[in-house]
Amino acid sequence: MSPIISVQDVSLTYRILVNRSNSIKELFKETLHGRVRIRDFTALTNISFTVERGDVLAIVGRNGAGKSTLLKVLAKVLPPTTGSYTSTGSIAPLIELGAGFHPEMTGSENIEFYSALLGRDLKNIKNRVQHIGEWAGVTSHLDLPLRTYSSGMLARLAFSVATYESADILLVDEVLSVGDAEFRAKSSKRMSDFIAGGAAVVIVSHDLDVIRNLANKVMWLEDGRIKEFGPVDEVLKNYENSFG
Amino acid sequence: MKYASVIRILVTRDLVMRYKKSVLGIGWTLLNPLLTSFVLWIVFSFVFSGKLPNNQQYAPYLFAGIIFHNFFSQGVVSAAESIAGNSAILTKIYIPPQVFALSTALAQFVHFLIGFLPLGLVVYISGSRISIFMPLSIILGLLMVMLISGLGLILSIVFVRFDDMRNIVNVMLLIIFYLTPVFYPITALSKNLQKIINWNPLNSFLECFRWAFSNNSSASLLDWLYISGFSVLVFIFGIYIFKRYWLNIVVML
Repeated sequence: MSPIISVQDVSLTYRILVNRSNSIKELFKETLHGRVRIRDFTALTNISFTVERGDVLAIVGRNGAGKSTLLKVLAKVLPPTTGSYTSTGSIAPLIELGAGFHPEMTGSENIEFYSALLGRDLKNIKNRVQHIGEWAGVTSHLDLPLRTYSSGMLARLAFSVATYESADILLVDEVLSVGDAEFRAKSSKRMSDFIAGGAAVVIVSHDLDVIRNLANKVMWLEDGRIKEFGPVDEVLKNYENSFG
Repeated sequence: MKYASVIRILVTRDLVMRYKKSVLGIGWTLLNPLLTSFVLWIVFSFVFSGKLPNNQQYAPYLFAGIIFHNFFSQGVVSAAESIAGNSAILTKIYIPPQVFALSTALAQFVHFLIGFLPLGLVVYISGSRISIFMPLSIILGLLMVMLISGLGLILSIVFVRFDDMRNIVNVMLLIIFYLTPVFYPITALSKNLQKIINWNPLNSFLECFRWAFSNNSSASLLDWLYISGFSVLVFIFGIYIFKRYWLNIVVML
């Protein structure tokens, strides 16, 4: 069976101006003074790995190690500078949920737009809105503008839209810690169902207990490189020891 | 197209939000260009009315110029801002960023179509009639959508990178306004200047629009070919430039 995610030697580099200013005037002045320096910033270096159907890969590492960048590459938001990335099937990015929510629009309108952004099929939209609202527990608020929602309601609604149907690949960035205990249990169950249904999951988390529960592989990133990749217990043990 | 529903929702949302925000709702869109034109009409009608050929009226000439020019300048600015304005989405969900520029341009297009109502009224009051070629105005509008999207995509790259670019663009748009026969007839200019302004694609756009809407100008087939070619080229060039440089700026969003 061929892997569902295949990442080959991916690097991500971008150029930044060292005297970073956001104005053309400044840039012009600095160019005249010969003070403009361009520096290449490397976020990821030679990343290679594969994920099979039913795998749950957790990515750990310190802040700034490149975890979220890698997740964005997997979501096809950031294209790799070199190397190749191929995936089969649909991708559901659960990254900072609720991107695209508009505070002045109603709950129903936001559900429709967010679903469209995620490339979902909008036939039978009434039914979809109803189910999503129900699952998030915001049915009575669906006709109200989103700015009247509490932050908990927003998070639940976003999660509900993004996970209304399973995808072949789920990219998860710390979103399992959403809502109260009851909703957390409910959302964990939905994730487990997806995993049992054969979806591949890539999860970024600082919560090692969550990782021990869900994942079967761990990638440890440091300074944009893979430091270790392998079974959960082994990698996490070394990772924890590195704090010592 | 896979993103058709995204575009549909974005266009509707753009229009709804615009009318919701203003007290007069949709009335304001009709009133705003009318008022601008009215002021310009008071000031310039004595100067320029006589300069138009005998069978043409100044009021519809001016008003058609204003709504078409508004379509262009507001369209370019909003399309250019649409990319940076939707960075929250673009850095989390994969969607071609061009969708946002195109949606903004299409919303401006609908806006432009709504402007046909007051323009029709002005044409009627000044005693002429709407031309049977009026539907061609819609094609002009769609060509303008391509021009706006293309320019907007190019500018959006710079807008993300430099904050002060907006001011520069606004000044350039003001210059373009004066270099385009919006409120003056081209014959009011010196012969040499006319030769230059004739190359201004917006001039051809306006000529075609005035001719198509109420036969209030003389547009040649050459004008039509020129703007069609120009718009298509700018559109393709915009998409190319955007693809080429998008990778450099997406990390800055």
